[in-house]
Amino acid sequence: MNRPLSQLFNRLVIVVPYLWLLALFLIPFVIVFKISLSQPATAMPPYVPTFEPSEGLAGLWTSLKAFSFDNYIWLTEDALYFNAYVSSVFIAGVSTFLTLLVGFPLAYGMARAPTSLRPLLLMLVILPFWTSFLIRVYAWIGILKPEGLLNQLLMAIGVINEPLIILNTDTAVYIGIVYSYLPFMVLPIYSTLEKMDYSLIEAAQDLGCRPVTAFWKITFPLSVPGVVAGCMLVFIPAVGEFVIPDLLGGSRTLMIGKTLWVEFFSNRDWPVSSAVAVVLLLILVVPIVLFQQAQARAQEAGK
Amino acid sequence: MKKSLGSIRKSFAPWLDPKAEPHISFADVTKKFGDFVAVDNLSLGVYGREFFALLGASGCGKSTLLRMLAGFEEPTSGVITLDGQDMHGIPPYRRPVNMMFQSYALFPHMTVEKNIAFGLKQDRMARSELDARVDEMLKLVKLDQFRGRKPDQLSGGQRQRVALARSLAKKPKVLLLDEPLGALDKKLREETQFELVDVQQDLGMTFIVVTHDQEEAMTMADRIAVMKEGKILQVATPEEVYEAPASRFVADFIGSVNMLEGVVSKPGGTTVIETQSGLVIRTKTDQETAENDKVWFAVRPEKLRVASKKPKTTSVNTIDGEIWDIAYLGDMTTFHIRLDGGQILKASVINDARLAQEQLTWHDRAWVSFAEDAGVVLTA
Repeated sequence: MNRPLSQLFNRLVIVVPYLWLLALFLIPFVIVFKISLSQPATAMPPYVPTFEPSEGLAGLWTSLKAFSFDNYIWLTEDALYFNAYVSSVFIAGVSTFLTLLVGFPLAYGMARAPTSLRPLLLMLVILPFWTSFLIRVYAWIGILKPEGLLNQLLMAIGVINEPLIILNTDTAVYIGIVYSYLPFMVLPIYSTLEKMDYSLIEAAQDLGCRPVTAFWKITFPLSVPGVVAGCMLVFIPAVGEFVIPDLLGGSRTLMIGKTLWVEFFSNRDWPVSSAVAVVLLLILVVPIVLFQQAQARAQEAGK
Repeated sequence: MKKSLGSIRKSFAPWLDPKAEPHISFADVTKKFGDFVAVDNLSLGVYGREFFALLGASGCGKSTLLRMLAGFEEPTSGVITLDGQDMHGIPPYRRPVNMMFQSYALFPHMTVEKNIAFGLKQDRMARSELDARVDEMLKLVKLDQFRGRKPDQLSGGQRQRVALARSLAKKPKVLLLDEPLGALDKKLREETQFELVDVQQDLGMTFIVVTHDQEEAMTMADRIAVMKEGKILQVATPEEVYEAPASRFVADFIGSVNMLEGVVSKPGGTTVIETQSGLVIRTKTDQETAENDKVWFAVRPEKLRVASKKPKTTSVNTIDGEIWDIAYLGDMTTFHIRLDGGQILKASVINDARLAQEQLTWHDRAWVSFAEDAGVVLTA
């Protein structure tokens, strides 16, 4: 291939991901943003103004003038939304931390396992994905409900006398999120730990470090890129999580995903639910940017 | 070469002193990994302030020996003592030895300075003393201006020096070096060999270096242990290992050698050996043999003389053959001479004058001769 042609080819290759982002992220976002500036209406679609291409430029102008930020102001006036956001971020944050607590030892164990065993362990981590997410969450209802498997087991071995009330509480939501998102935490941490040169730990011990100190001074700092990636992969979807709080959480479990669902399907208020979605996106953009910066730093360090 | 370093080193031979106690000793040490025997019932003593080399091909157990001393592996059986203390069950972080790793194992998230200070911080050394020690180490390895860099911002040679400084920082009595120069290019390796010897002598430490490079071992070490399949074949000074190898394997492993197989036709101080192809070799030897013993005569290429005519001065150990190959190396020329029996002898001739080589060329007849004390008789 000659030079100008290959340069053209290189540019075309770059265009593909941009087209992807444009079609699947930017355009949907613009549509949602546009709806969030509209007013609800009993119509199809259920909001005004709508723009008909037949009305021409004048029509476009009228509809543009009708746009307002009323829905965003509305979000600030009703404490429900603020509480839902805060509660979502809180629940997601706690869940992420719990997932890290469970996931790190798991990833560490996998990375230290004999090389021949690792593909099997990796397989086991990915295995739950082979069953529908929804079915797995339903299965937890069967485990956690008062007459469920967990309570039966605990009562049978005499740990408790009365069934624990776990289902329809925040605890159940935490259990559900930790369970569902565990692979997203384990895999990136495993990949950083697995790449780590074990002789670094030996060197630390050789220089007088006890194994525990060597872990905190060497292993953990070097696994931070994986920990950050794992936390982001859990935190970001957990904030907007709908299925888990809906199925496992109680009526008092307040999460923005549920609020959005109610606005959209029960109240048929597309503009407000769009505004909720846009604000949620803004809340998530901050951690995403932080995540990308962390990744860039990790790449810098890995050079 | 170290031999020219003067009388201090020449008189350094504690292994000849029957009263000297080894600083480190391995007694009947065996290490098995499953069915594989990495170290096979090995005994060895290394003396204080000695520069000791473990030499062998990969998989011969030399690194395992080092790792057992560092505490990363426990011997399956046998006892390792350091300064008279049994090392059994003592974890690596409590052993008074430090190791320089083959991969250097520098902490990638720490600067050069922090890497070097790492071991000192574990000892909770006072801040001022620690800073002074780090400065001293940085000066020693000439990396003062790179103290703030991370390992990935350094060249291979610089990383090697950081690894050395880090392992020396605690001033251990014993430093273990696992292929310390393996990752360097040839020129840098040669320079660094001398630097290591200088550092070792300045600091008065015991160095045990693992290497597969015989030149490296010979340049640096006071004594070399040649290892094969978990066993030590010979422990001796570089001169002894080279000039008086204990076995065919050692002779062949260290440098280049011509090996002639034959039977003893007359044993004694001057042994006569006859090869199958009818060559008669007269050689002075201490090796006890009996008539008709099967032996090998080993002679180094540089001990052979090559001439285009039959030498007049001597008639013993004179063989003629055909020049089969010539390798001109600049400082010397290596002739491959094919004897009439089919055996090929290698002979190295120093090019001590420019273009003054006798005009020997391919397929010429040539005479090879050597003195009666040029080679050694080997029975194993």
